[in-house]
Amino acid sequence: MSIEKLTQSLNKRLNLSRRSFLKSAAVGGASVAAGGLVEMKTAKEAKAFAYEPYPTDDQLETVVTSCAHNCGSRHMLVAHKWKDVIVRLSTDDGRYQRDGHFGKDDNEEPQLRACLRGRSYRQRLYSAERLLYPMMRVGKRGEGKFKRVSWDEALTHVASKMVEIKDTYGPTALVDQSYAGASYGVLHKSDQIEGLLGRFLGMFGCRTSSWSVPSYQGTTFSSRMTFGTIEDGNEDDTFAHSKLMIMWGWNPAYTFHGGNTFMYMRMAKQRGCKFVLVDPQYTDSAAAYDAWWIPIRPNTDAAMMAGMAHYIFTNDLHDQEFIDQFCQGMDAGTMPEWAKDKENFKDYILGKYDNEPKTPEWAAEICGVPAEDIIKLADMYARTKPAALKASWAPGRNAYGEQYNRMAAALQAMTGNIGILGGCAEGVGKAWHAEAVAYPYDQYSNIWFQSIKSDRWAHCVLNYPNVKREEIGLWPRQDDTDGQIPNIKGIFWQGSDWFNQLTNINKEIEAINKLELVVCMDSTITPSGLYADVLLPIATHFERHDVALPWYKGHYYIHRPKVIEPMGESKTDFQVFTELAYRIGGNVFGQAFNPKANRDYFHINDNVDEAYLKEWWDQKVIGHQHVDMSWDEFKQRGVYKFKLDQPHVAFREQIENGKAFQTPSGKIEILASQLAQITDWKKTMYGYEIPYIPKWIEPWESLNSPKTSEFPFHLISPHPRWRTHSIFNNCSWLRETYEQEVTLNAADAKQLGIRTGDTVEIWNDRGRVVVPTYVTERCMPGVAVLHEGVWIDLDSEGVDRAGNPDMLTLDEPSPAGAFAYNTVLCNIKKTDLEHRPGWDQLATSRAHVFRRDL
Amino acid sequence: MTSKQDKARIKAAVKRRKRETYTPVVPDKQLGFVHNNVDCIGCRACEIACKDKNGLSAGPRFRRVQYIEGGTYPDVYAYKVNMSCNHCESPACLPTCPTGAIFKRKADGIVDIDSTLCIGCRRCEAACPFGAPQFDPGDNIVKKCNMCVDEIEAGRKPYCVMACMMRVLDIGSIDEIWRGSLETVAIGPADKVSKQVKNMANIELTKPSIGFVAHSKGKVK
Repeated sequence: MSIEKLTQSLNKRLNLSRRSFLKSAAVGGASVAAGGLVEMKTAKEAKAFAYEPYPTDDQLETVVTSCAHNCGSRHMLVAHKWKDVIVRLSTDDGRYQRDGHFGKDDNEEPQLRACLRGRSYRQRLYSAERLLYPMMRVGKRGEGKFKRVSWDEALTHVASKMVEIKDTYGPTALVDQSYAGASYGVLHKSDQIEGLLGRFLGMFGCRTSSWSVPSYQGTTFSSRMTFGTIEDGNEDDTFAHSKLMIMWGWNPAYTFHGGNTFMYMRMAKQRGCKFVLVDPQYTDSAAAYDAWWIPIRPNTDAAMMAGMAHYIFTNDLHDQEFIDQFCQGMDAGTMPEWAKDKENFKDYILGKYDNEPKTPEWAAEICGVPAEDIIKLADMYARTKPAALKASWAPGRNAYGEQYNRMAAALQAMTGNIGILGGCAEGVGKAWHAEAVAYPYDQYSNIWFQSIKSDRWAHCVLNYPNVKREEIGLWPRQDDTDGQIPNIKGIFWQGSDWFNQLTNINKEIEAINKLELVVCMDSTITPSGLYADVLLPIATHFERHDVALPWYKGHYYIHRPKVIEPMGESKTDFQVFTELAYRIGGNVFGQAFNPKANRDYFHINDNVDEAYLKEWWDQKVIGHQHVDMSWDEFKQRGVYKFKLDQPHVAFREQIENGKAFQTPSGKIEILASQLAQITDWKKTMYGYEIPYIPKWIEPWESLNSPKTSEFPFHLISPHPRWRTHSIFNNCSWLRETYEQEVTLNAADAKQLGIRTGDTVEIWNDRGRVVVPTYVTERCMPGVAVLHEGVWIDLDSEGVDRAGNPDMLTLDEPSPAGAFAYNTVLCNIKKTDLEHRPGWDQLATSRAHVFRRDL
Repeated sequence: MTSKQDKARIKAAVKRRKRETYTPVVPDKQLGFVHNNVDCIGCRACEIACKDKNGLSAGPRFRRVQYIEGGTYPDVYAYKVNMSCNHCESPACLPTCPTGAIFKRKADGIVDIDSTLCIGCRRCEAACPFGAPQFDPGDNIVKKCNMCVDEIEAGRKPYCVMACMMRVLDIGSIDEIWRGSLETVAIGPADKVSKQVKNMANIELTKPSIGFVAHSKGKVK
């Protein structure tokens, strides 16, 4: 800077007239017109968004789409884009539906407002962790060293390896672990059982399927046994009609079961509904609904429910008329002829068979809830009509978790709260039925050669061939391959981070090194991806054409156009499978797998995807569901919201009109016909005996077991609010709002000398993790809460510095298949080890590795 | 703890300072936020919507859902206090600004910062009792909530309000909010609106344009 210029600028800065300008400029707005301004060339009026350009929403292109993951609901996202870049996201504001306008938000067609995870989608879409090119591993599994390869090289490798493995090891050598990373699109569906991957491997003729669902297998089992269906759910607006709502292990403030459930529950509160929370934690739901909090020892729920049942039976508060008409095996009078010699539920509760009446006092010893509270709750529940006992999934993710759900169904039935508005039979909670399938669905959709309990793959791999069928929950087959132990040599992950999410990660690490092919198809790198041989970059739901379904509740469809072109070289999973089919089996396999496509589908998919979706809309949505909106209008609006004649209540038909339940007996089966007739449990997929009536069974570890002398804390791992399982763990916005931490009761923490923010080690004989602590009065003593899904970050000693609870969980499922995620004892101590909140620091370096040729 | 006398002195000092530097803007209509502390589930969708709208990286949080909890196990309580910029009647930030970047709009009383005038001195950040203006190290300037003026001018509501899954956050004329006459589902049929909640800065300092449905444990007597 020259002297002259410096003087000038000094003069300017010292100019008194400028100061007077500032004074007036501060008044702001258009009123600034003081004389001093004219002299000042730099002066200008203060205004909003002064940095130009600031594109307002109305200057950008608006595209209606939705979020995509399996969080328990589905909401609208509205992309505001500039050319091929999404500038920001908003959500439903009432404008997009038919007859909509800004602000329209009535109870019939409420807005579908996205949650914090959905709103942070741009961070995931444009994250440093995005996979942009196919990669192949060059280091050891888990080391995270990859080189960029062409699609041709990657797919050639995968195809030839698949053929080699199948030829060498037979038709059970490949496990499909497809899950939720891209779930619930009607076309690109990464469904665990019948998605695109299962179809692909089944057609290829080499597939070991994984049948138990991590989130809710105990609950699914219970609903199927008791009601014959998982469609035991009400639509969320029905909750507004309850007079009493018992949230059993349910935290709708975190896990949005249905798009607007929490909002309708607020409505119930305003109408005088009383709320109760049975949970080891005083959750935000308890706070928002001003609930009576009953802290309970984890994994003892069935005992408390048995105590409630005892009180209800002995005080004659049960609805005998309902029981006689609709239930099987509730009491001696409702036993079917063929089962006269079997136990019935009431007599079990009264202690007729084991001389152990399941009194509230008996239950109190087990569950830690005072008997008077059990009585009070039982009394409330039996006397308040209608009352909703919402038996959530979490207490079912336990050893014998299915007994909890079965017991809950018995309570719901004995109080006659099934099939009525304001009552509740959930359970699984699937309500309105959506037309879910636009992808090819035919005889090939679910071909498998063996099927195992999902968390047993590592056990199977490590112990092959010395594995008993009951250990891995082998699903029976009708041919001579029944009972053959699968010889697993490869894994496919499609939209799935199961390596990070299944139980007992250390065992998985041991097992994965025995595999010959590990393929990970995802849109970002994940902890699972680090262990893969081949990483295939998959287009996100913003980058492909699809339609979104509501999750288990909600009645609407949201159009998901291709908002932007796929980033990098990413392709849709449907494209990848189609291409692999052509490479492996030529035109025959290719066209059978994707009948509407040609070989060029890998490069041009728009028309084919459109054809599938239009066919789905015309045949299923218009044809079956009688929607009066054309496909073109739907595409133009972006959303279709159904209006229901009356609130959807599960089993209303059965209760009001006497329609049969879908069980073998046509009744609510407290005594499950199917279970009562099993003689050889080893030959069932369960492997071990399951009582045919709901019973309390002592779990293999809990706060009541002797193991507490070594491991005094019971660890539970609920779903976090700031991730959908492991998805979004890399988003800094969400990281900033919540932190991976262990929640401890204040008295416990005091005893351990721990304060909020201290870093602790949590360990048991399966693993060790490091996390900071959150000390609170809102958690039951003896219980530690660590949310699932954080991306593992192992140090050289194998300690997970990120704090993933699945380092500590046991890969021993409940007989019915429930993952025992919440049946974990552990110990806790202060540590000097550093917590690594995940990959935010590491992402940079890893992205560097991922994005160049090694 | 300041004594009564101190408070009076501070008040006088603040008044004097304001008079010297700033002629207050009297808006035609003052807009403000209303938040239901009790019914809020604390999901923070509003926070993320705000981050996305304003293109912020990790760091500045224009909107902050604060978690308050208390009691002793098992008799506990919890509630949320949600605050961004309160677009105060007498903004403490405004007179501190040496470049005149901060201004209050005549039409609706929204307080905003002109980012081309801001030099990032952070004086406003220190002055605000609510933590609304926040330094963005990336752009080297201070930023804060402007109630999404672009949305307001388009006849809509700010991103945070439109993000609220529970419908417990809203905006409106602050006088109507305080009177309880604003038509909004954020305030339930039996709810009363208060201007202040426990542990919040003295509202006399800046006269924040915000109303709350306070939790029983969060009420100011």
